[in-house]
Amino acid sequence: MNPPQPTPSVKADAIQKPTKPQREKKPSKSKPLNDEKMDNPTSKASTNDKQLTEKQLRKLEWEKKLSEQKGKGDIKDGLSLSKAELKAKRREQQEAQRQAKVEKDVKEVKDKPVENPKSLEKKPTRMLPGEAKKSDKKSTVEPKILKSKHVQLVQHLYKEPNPEYSSKLVNFKEIHPVFMRLGVQYSEKVILGSNARCLALLAGIRTLINDIQTPSKQEFCRYLQGVLQNCTDYLQECRPLAVSMTNALRSFKQQLRHIETIETGLNDNDKRTRLIDVIDTYIRNDMRRAWDAISIKVNAKIVDGDIILIYGCSSLVRQILLEANKDGKKFSVIIVDSRPLLEGREMLRRLISAGIKCSYVLINGLSCVMKQASKVLLGAHALLTNGSVMSRIGTAQVALVAQAYNKPVLVCCETYKFSERVQTDSFVFNEIGDSNLLLSADTSSSSSPLVYQKDNPKLNILNLLYDVTPPDLVTAVVTELAILPCTSVPVVLRINAGESNV
Amino acid sequence: MTNINFQDLSDVIRLISDIKHKNILSSHDIALKTEAMLEALIAQGKWTSASELMQLIKQRIKCISQSLPMEATAINVMRHILKVIREEFEVASEKKGESQSLQYIVTGASSNVLDYSQSLSSLQAALLDHLSEYKTELETSAENIAAQASEHIHSSETILTFGTSKTVQRFLKAASKKRTFNVIVVEAAPLYLGHSLAANLAKSNIQTTVIPDSAVFAMMSRVNKVIIGTHTVLASGGLRASSGIHALALAAKHYSIPVMVLSHMYKFTPVYLGSNDHEAFNDCASPASLIPYSSGQVLNKAEVTNAVFDFVPPELVTLFITHQGGNSPSYVYRLLSELYHPDDYEI
Repeated sequence: MNPPQPTPSVKADAIQKPTKPQREKKPSKSKPLNDEKMDNPTSKASTNDKQLTEKQLRKLEWEKKLSEQKGKGDIKDGLSLSKAELKAKRREQQEAQRQAKVEKDVKEVKDKPVENPKSLEKKPTRMLPGEAKKSDKKSTVEPKILKSKHVQLVQHLYKEPNPEYSSKLVNFKEIHPVFMRLGVQYSEKVILGSNARCLALLAGIRTLINDIQTPSKQEFCRYLQGVLQNCTDYLQECRPLAVSMTNALRSFKQQLRHIETIETGLNDNDKRTRLIDVIDTYIRNDMRRAWDAISIKVNAKIVDGDIILIYGCSSLVRQILLEANKDGKKFSVIIVDSRPLLEGREMLRRLISAGIKCSYVLINGLSCVMKQASKVLLGAHALLTNGSVMSRIGTAQVALVAQAYNKPVLVCCETYKFSERVQTDSFVFNEIGDSNLLLSADTSSSSSPLVYQKDNPKLNILNLLYDVTPPDLVTAVVTELAILPCTSVPVVLRINAGESNV
Repeated sequence: MTNINFQDLSDVIRLISDIKHKNILSSHDIALKTEAMLEALIAQGKWTSASELMQLIKQRIKCISQSLPMEATAINVMRHILKVIREEFEVASEKKGESQSLQYIVTGASSNVLDYSQSLSSLQAALLDHLSEYKTELETSAENIAAQASEHIHSSETILTFGTSKTVQRFLKAASKKRTFNVIVVEAAPLYLGHSLAANLAKSNIQTTVIPDSAVFAMMSRVNKVIIGTHTVLASGGLRASSGIHALALAAKHYSIPVMVLSHMYKFTPVYLGSNDHEAFNDCASPASLIPYSSGQVLNKAEVTNAVFDFVPPELVTLFITHQGGNSPSYVYRLLSELYHPDDYEI
């Protein structure tokens, strides 16, 4: 009854293929155990694969499903769970599985025609009825429960489980499996942080360019543009794109159009290399060089004996601190962390292993440690045109307390994260995280009293992902161009726009 | 004190151990227990004069302040009873006590100073009477605070509160009988006591939203009032409250949102402390609730701090609500002089 494992022989795969959908349906209840056992080996093995063979496609599907469960399971790892929690967890898993199955089935429908044109007529007719049933069930049951649990204030931010979501997925034609995987990794927060998300997206586009085959009588760039649009639509559906991603995409599309209109004489393969070059240049110049430049700029500001307070786990701040340490600066770091992501623990682990002296507090103890700090370094999700800093939730509070103690607040932000949007509060545009993550008190063994009131319509749990720090709380923004006041964002945007038009 | 006789102090030692072992958790229970202890002490009658009795009580205060430096409630209750003794003695001896009139200060007439060592037969009964009155006051205090709820909360307001407090819970529940409003509860890491408050409020049909500590600033812009409880009210009008409240009060200040502090009279402490990291001010709890022991090697090298309290300066507090009504922080000094005798501020 085990769901088919990614077996080494291609033949076995081929045999299993036609029967798989039916086999999948029945054993769904006995699955959780099997899945957990297999969890580690598969996910590790498949992180490296880039070339997508038939076999690896299979693997991907698997991993996607596993990562869904893993994402949920991870949070409670290392806890002794009460019965109620266990039950809740199991329910979650089942839910996740059902969802994964829907997606998987859908993908099969889509993948098959590409791989095996002959099965094209058969598969959809066989799959779609089941598909329809599932999506029906979802659309009738879920919205009712969810709507009552919405916080009125941010009603607009909740993603309605789109009743046509699964059918839409079917219609999302030609979504490359890499993007399928990306979508799930984004939505399950396996890939977290705007830099990491942007890098993953660009890597995805590169794979897409490599794999894409232009149908006859179509221009390569135009075709690619269409496919890419579909893919990003799908990603948007999984989790709203980060500002870094939209900016990177915009720049890529600009280049794409440029190649399409100006360089008409090239053949497909040349265009491919050109486009891949565009992506590599973007990663090299706008991202990696920016990180290095910012790191050098901030390092100049770090002196021996500094106590630097940081919040969360920004990849850029981490790089800065590690490099300052490499330069032999003697400083210590206060890591402020908050629920529910608790990214700070990861930061703590990495800085400690690099030999930096660290202390760790949760955000509630912020006022007690702020006095010792000499500088505050923060990462950013985006910098808005009105000078506000959009960043992980809690950043504004750190900046506020820092101001109360007269500590300089440096926000590290690459210019590719500058956005033309303006925003003055944290509600108009934001993202809502999984509220269930707040249900448990992560370090105590007893379960939270909230669990018993979970279904009470009067009780809401709000887990916002970002907040907006007003510009007056930020001393300066460190970009690769210069150390600027927040209010210089429009200037930088204007200059950048001018450059790219030339 | 060199001559502390531990035999005589068994009652206070029991109280201390109860507090230490968290057998009595809420400050309200501590206040009641302390009052009961003193009532028993007075009733036993192992004292002959007011000054002896005051000596006995002061011994107990010292004992508590040495073993539980953060405990304010028990000491405040005893301190208040010291004042009660002084008052009752004055009444019993039918003499006018140290008046605070300007004439006395200027002329410095010392002939009228009371001699507390005089033994008075009527004192014991009068004291027990007064104490039972005080006990009723303690018992009804929360009720009286809750009764003011509708004066402070209007319809469809958004109230933000932090962690848990029985007084706040009662206050909000009382308000919900007359008004409909939303409550946002900050879960208050690392103990997440906010969860239990939220669950209780939701049970009594109040629209409740739980947010993590990090979302305080973001949510504050949509809040109408902040209503919190506190551990202690300091003489300056500042607060010693659970950690995280300082940041919350700063955010409230940033958005000009009133911060109301519900407090019983026994939380008013005649102590001036003005900083978070003052030794006499803060306490550190176990770091286990911040980061699990299972994190492994990292814990050997990292310094994990889990401060229990936050100092909130008086300028961040808008209003104190006690059973007598509302007062601004600048009036706390006056409340203190009503509660305690100036000679008993330092013991």
